[in-house]
Amino acid sequence: MVNPENEFRVTVFVLTGVLSFESSIDSRSKMECVMPVVQHVLEVDDLSTRLDGKLIVDSVSLSVEYGEVVGVVGANGSGKTTLLRTLAGLLKAESGEIVVGGVPFSSGKSSNVASRRDRARKVAYMPQSTESHPFTVFESVLMGRYPHLGRFALEGSSDRELAWDAMERTSTVEFANRNLDTLSGGERQRVVLARVLVQQADLLLMDEPTASLDLRHQILTMDLVREELRERDAGAIVILHDLSLAARYCDRLVVLYEGKKIADGTPWEVLTPRNLRTAFGVEGLVEPDPVTGKPHVLLLGSENSSSGDLIGVGRKVHLICGAGSGRELMHQLRVAGYEVSAGVLGTGDSDREAAERLGMEYVSAPPFSSITDKQHEDHLELVRAADHVVLCPMAVGMNNVRNVSAAVGTTSLFILEPPGARGGPGDSEVADYTDGLASGLRRGLIEQFGDILESALLFELARVAGRA
Amino acid sequence: MARESTLNGHVQRVSTGSTVLRRLFVGSFLLIVATVLVAVVAASVGPFNVPFTHTVSALMDLIGIGDSIAKPTEHAIIQTIRLPRIFLAFIVGAALGIAGGIMQGLFRNSMADPGIIGISSGGATGAVFAIATGLSTVSTFFLPLFAFIGSAVSMAVVFLIASVGGRFSMATLLLGGIAVSSFLGAVTTATIILTDDLNVQRQIIFWIAGGFDTARWESVQIAAPIIVVGALITIFMSRDLNLLLVSEDEAETLGVRVVLVRNILLISASLITGTAVAFSGIIAFVGLVVPHVVRLIVGADHRVLLPLSALGGGLFLLVADTAARVVLAPAELRVGVLTAMIGAPFFIYLLVRSKARLL
Repeated sequence: MVNPENEFRVTVFVLTGVLSFESSIDSRSKMECVMPVVQHVLEVDDLSTRLDGKLIVDSVSLSVEYGEVVGVVGANGSGKTTLLRTLAGLLKAESGEIVVGGVPFSSGKSSNVASRRDRARKVAYMPQSTESHPFTVFESVLMGRYPHLGRFALEGSSDRELAWDAMERTSTVEFANRNLDTLSGGERQRVVLARVLVQQADLLLMDEPTASLDLRHQILTMDLVREELRERDAGAIVILHDLSLAARYCDRLVVLYEGKKIADGTPWEVLTPRNLRTAFGVEGLVEPDPVTGKPHVLLLGSENSSSGDLIGVGRKVHLICGAGSGRELMHQLRVAGYEVSAGVLGTGDSDREAAERLGMEYVSAPPFSSITDKQHEDHLELVRAADHVVLCPMAVGMNNVRNVSAAVGTTSLFILEPPGARGGPGDSEVADYTDGLASGLRRGLIEQFGDILESALLFELARVAGRA
Repeated sequence: MARESTLNGHVQRVSTGSTVLRRLFVGSFLLIVATVLVAVVAASVGPFNVPFTHTVSALMDLIGIGDSIAKPTEHAIIQTIRLPRIFLAFIVGAALGIAGGIMQGLFRNSMADPGIIGISSGGATGAVFAIATGLSTVSTFFLPLFAFIGSAVSMAVVFLIASVGGRFSMATLLLGGIAVSSFLGAVTTATIILTDDLNVQRQIIFWIAGGFDTARWESVQIAAPIIVVGALITIFMSRDLNLLLVSEDEAETLGVRVVLVRNILLISASLITGTAVAFSGIIAFVGLVVPHVVRLIVGADHRVLLPLSALGGGLFLLVADTAARVVLAPAELRVGVLTAMIGAPFFIYLLVRSKARLL
């Protein structure tokens, strides 16, 4: 993603660097004055919005760079739409700053800094649903030119060309002369998208632009949004419910939970099983998409769902883990109906906390102290009672090397690769502080059982269950 | 259709866009020509028939072209009796047509009419007050004055109801209008029942039925400026009204000052309607039917719809008033009765049609 502004800034920087050798400091400061570099199309600082006295958006700060698509995800009622409507100027913020292209827009109780017309030329808003109205498709697309026309001006041929291009790109040309209320919801949504494109704004705010679209048009629409942003160097905030679609098309994702921003980063950074659990209350597997390599979210279920036909019911899985390496699996296995146990976990270890919270059977030991015979015995008991044993890619030191040896002799063992083994985020090797003792054990076991990615474990277990 | 538009993409591009001005000019031209023709007929027919040639020459004479071949009596009848009536019928029809178009746009409902927020019944109550108290006999302008005051007061009350709690709501405006209308209707009915004077009763019923028999040049001089200015203001805001009709949110984010535009349009439409009601009584269905028909023909773009609704409403009411004078001659049918007789069946037709489309 090359940003011309960025490139320009680099050029200016290099130039000034060269010039400052020969000329006075004056010329340098002059150049910087002439060309103020605005990097962000949108900067939001500490924004809060209240609806009927209830705080819906709670101190959210975020930014969008030129050319960037930022996805906003979160459960129903997490404040996504309210945030977007506040940014669009449809709701008054209680506090906070909204700066678009370096120009402050209305914020809090202070007066409008930019006029509504100026704002409309810079910010376009695509609502979640459209009401029906008696205009034709062409007429309603052409309305996107409103902020660019004088009060008594009629749309000129350039406006009509823009509208026509937008209709071609959204494949709505064939409806051009039909009334909007004769179209289906998805067709209507594409018409609104065409109108948003025609507005030629620097920042697009889109509330579920793919909500009523069929699969093909979801892809086409998001492709179009990306293409448009690249061409015009504009930015977008898009609310999406389909997390895989969001991961595929957004440069960055922001997760809202109860009005607060709880995560902000690349799709891989944000779409973690843990964030899925916090923001949506669901268990999900995050795997690389086979086509794009972006994270793909597979919904496993919710802790509270009570489906009777879970694959893991009546089966015991034991996790040999530690230092957070088994935490997500505990949740995921539980949602699939498995009875899960774990060992040996040091007190204060995040795996132990998770096991405790989930009410699992586990063996614990004081932190960083070597596993005693008694603890090892208890651990082996749990291992023997389990139908399947999973060896997680935790760091191994002399204190917990006995955990690895507990896996020896089991009949159904699954060995997990470190998360970064195939180029994914995270460590690419299992940390070994035992002078090769643990690694040797592990290698031996891998020769016997093979190893798999963490996200493949549930599939493998299901395959075994299916054969049985 | 779909194939044609892709094959002749460019042809379609050009033709689709330029229609705003074309529709407006063609529509206005046809309606103005028709209005002039009807006006000539209207100036000729009546209890005292004037030959068309005489009418035309008298009219030409009035605008300073040629010498009239009409007899002095014919000339006098046309100038002092029929022309003011023609003008008043036209501007009242124009007022109701454009106000109906605005209300239908603002309420996003093609079943809305200009009196929907209680203006007509307020005017009726004002008129009833003037008649019942005898004030209408003091000066001929007390009747329209009180009718206008009645409209203004009921409009203000309905606005206040809709603004209660600091949040203006179009739904409350509509419901408040219906409530105020039925209350004022009851007041009018009670006045008719409780009055012993048969003449007063008759005057009230006559006024409510709507008509132009009292039209004079002075009425035109007062009504025309208000209605023309109101109409121009709203026509200038017709593009904003287009966006409001799409959705208030989308209008707002496209740069429309929604609250300001909505209030100006509501108040202009109300003043126009109040003025029309004051000089004509209650004339039903013009404001409902005319914009509806115009929309079916030229589409929903208010830049075309509003001016053509004004011209169409004027023409329609001129035709209706002429018919009201002639059909039962020498007796006269009230024009408000006639428009309701034509309008109500048409309204039913629209209801059935829109229902059929939903099914």
